[in-house]
Amino acid sequence: MTTTSITNVRDLADTVRAAFEDGTPLRITTCGTWPESLRSVRSGATTLDCSAITGIVEYIPGDLTLTARAGTTLAELEEATARHGQWCPLSPWGTDAGSFGATMATATRGPLTTALGAPRDLALGIECVDGTGAVIRGGGRVVKNVAGFDLTRLMVGSWGTLAILTEISVRLRARPAVDETWSVPLDGDGVTERLHVLRQGVYAPLACEMFHGAAARAVGLSADAALVRLGGNAGFVAAARSALRTASTNAAPHDPAVWTRAREVHAAPVLQTLAGAIDRPLDRRVKAQFDPRHILNPGLFAESA
Amino acid sequence: MLQRELEAIVGERNVLWRASELLVYENDALPGYRRRPRLAVFPGTRDEVIAVVAALWRAGMPFVPRGAGTGLSGGAVADDIVVLGLQRLKQVLALNAGARTATVEPGVVNATLTKAATPFGLHYAPDPSSQTACTIGGNVAENAGGPHCLKYGVTLNHVLAATVLLPNGEIIALEAPRADRAGYDLMGAFVGSEGCFGVALDVTVRLTPNPEQVVTLLSVFSSLDDAARAVSAVIAEGVLPSAFEMMDNPTIRAVEASIYAAGYPLDAAAVLLTELDGAAAGIAEDVQIVERLSRACGATDVRTATDAADRARLWQGRKKAFGALGRIAPDLVVQDAVVPRTRLAPILAKIAEIGQRLNVRLCNVFHAGDGNLHPCIPYDASDADESARVHAAMKEVMELCIAEGGSITGEHGVGSDKMAYMDRLFATESLDAMCRLRDAFDAERRANPGKVIPSRHCREWMSVRGVEA
Repeated sequence: MTTTSITNVRDLADTVRAAFEDGTPLRITTCGTWPESLRSVRSGATTLDCSAITGIVEYIPGDLTLTARAGTTLAELEEATARHGQWCPLSPWGTDAGSFGATMATATRGPLTTALGAPRDLALGIECVDGTGAVIRGGGRVVKNVAGFDLTRLMVGSWGTLAILTEISVRLRARPAVDETWSVPLDGDGVTERLHVLRQGVYAPLACEMFHGAAARAVGLSADAALVRLGGNAGFVAAARSALRTASTNAAPHDPAVWTRAREVHAAPVLQTLAGAIDRPLDRRVKAQFDPRHILNPGLFAESA
Repeated sequence: MLQRELEAIVGERNVLWRASELLVYENDALPGYRRRPRLAVFPGTRDEVIAVVAALWRAGMPFVPRGAGTGLSGGAVADDIVVLGLQRLKQVLALNAGARTATVEPGVVNATLTKAATPFGLHYAPDPSSQTACTIGGNVAENAGGPHCLKYGVTLNHVLAATVLLPNGEIIALEAPRADRAGYDLMGAFVGSEGCFGVALDVTVRLTPNPEQVVTLLSVFSSLDDAARAVSAVIAEGVLPSAFEMMDNPTIRAVEASIYAAGYPLDAAAVLLTELDGAAAGIAEDVQIVERLSRACGATDVRTATDAADRARLWQGRKKAFGALGRIAPDLVVQDAVVPRTRLAPILAKIAEIGQRLNVRLCNVFHAGDGNLHPCIPYDASDADESARVHAAMKEVMELCIAEGGSITGEHGVGSDKMAYMDRLFATESLDAMCRLRDAFDAERRANPGKVIPSRHCREWMSVRGVEA
């Protein structure tokens, strides 16, 4: 299996166009943090390593928007935005060693998704190269935009089977003034239900994830527990804290660093259970329009004729 | 004959063909753009919609789906083809208060849905100013916004699923992506497709719990520049108002002279309407920040709505501002550009300069929090000279917003009106990709043809269709 490293969009477009003409299957990677064994591309494909298509293109803190190339790592985005008290709240299952592009291409969710939005909700615009080698832009860099049909939503979550993302613009959030993590033992007596009610109410946490058995141990919890993250201004968090204590008198403050491990532990089960298929006539027509020779990540989604 | 065939499906009185009856369907809310439809047909049930679309398909007749016709882009106008009116399909099919979802037919009016959800302490969050008339089907087609979309998101973020009828008769269940299933986000692609992909037979939306507390502030400024800087300052501070609206002096005067008078000071250069909502705890801190930053940027007065009636009055002035502006001249043109929020102050100054130079009454009433400008000009379309100046001014405003890295439409859609700007925003390859996405839904271009993408940018794809592997 051969690997080609790509450093810019123009080279990528030329490479894909050549592959389109030859019918060469391509496996798209950036940082390679997804376990290959769980979602693999049909063997024999040429690997296109896009990790060098990297860098923040534009970041205007006052606008709370950021544009970066696909190979940029999440850690780089974290570092750049943290300096301004902001964050790109993707925080997906997996690690920050993963790339921005892969996170958006796979629409990977994470513990903050319910509160702050899935990748499709955060994406403002994209640049990508489709399966014919065409360089395409959709959306833009402003926070509200309905100009043209929505290629952004189409490409986010398409797992590189319609086009290869090269640049993405996203909306950012201000980091909450107070941000604290609690662990809540899942010791029966309706605590799970009360946490569910808390999540639906006005003091909904930023994140609430439950860990049982081996997963709890892997995260470093001594028993089955929920990790709860409360965020907001001081007044809000004080009220949310007492709501949490009402839900469980055993709630205790926890080291926020636990989320790094929690995201890693949860990544494999997410990938294992995630089914994807190009099985309806409409899906197949979309595929035919953007990757007519089925050269992009073939076999990654189950394809039926 | 198509007319008779449609009459057999929906009944004679639900097919309009006389010029006098079609008059009202010649335009939407975009003034000065009229096209005569061939026929207008109004099915009353889902089955009738399916039968009508099948008949149109067999007849080779393109159609324009239409809700309440409140759109501002000329998108619901049919040029010698059929108007498919969906406003008779107005049943709320299901409302699940526990799951906070509702499934509705496309003709359900936006405000009616919120009214149905009110007994459960819920509402439908996207709130376009036309919400008492516009339909959910139209909202989905345009990916409609509204003042409260700043915090709660636009239509896209609230649509969970839809049953969609394609022009060729195919019926498809679309669903927003879920945590446990990967696949193409064709629900996302459908929202905002401006009636060019097909017709929604039903739409399932998310309902939002009513906030525990709402605080509405009116900040008064003696310059537009100060008001714009206050918006940037609040957003940059990390406070996320649920709505953050600006009105300039000409708009304030028009509102105060109308029955929608809200008590905005007539001598203000601009007012900001800021709403903060959510849990009661913590709101006070955000209110203080908004007040402090507004004053720091030069606000001469900041007051809080005293009660629900006062809040409703402050909001009515904003929501009916276009109506109030419509009173001062026979015609009103409204634009819908979006600019980066940090560029609001200089851009508003340049827009004012354009208005003065071309001698038109440029007014601003807009969603300041997300940089979504609605520059509008009341004018007399029968005055050729004034019309020419108005159109020249709007063109300059749009070019300015494009040059500043913005968009030509934030929530109204491209329709017919903004097609001419599409190739300033996107290269031919991107416009062609948009055409290809439409082709997957409607390769024959039967649904709302000739809108959104100028057809010269749509490459024929026959050579590639042949090589499907």
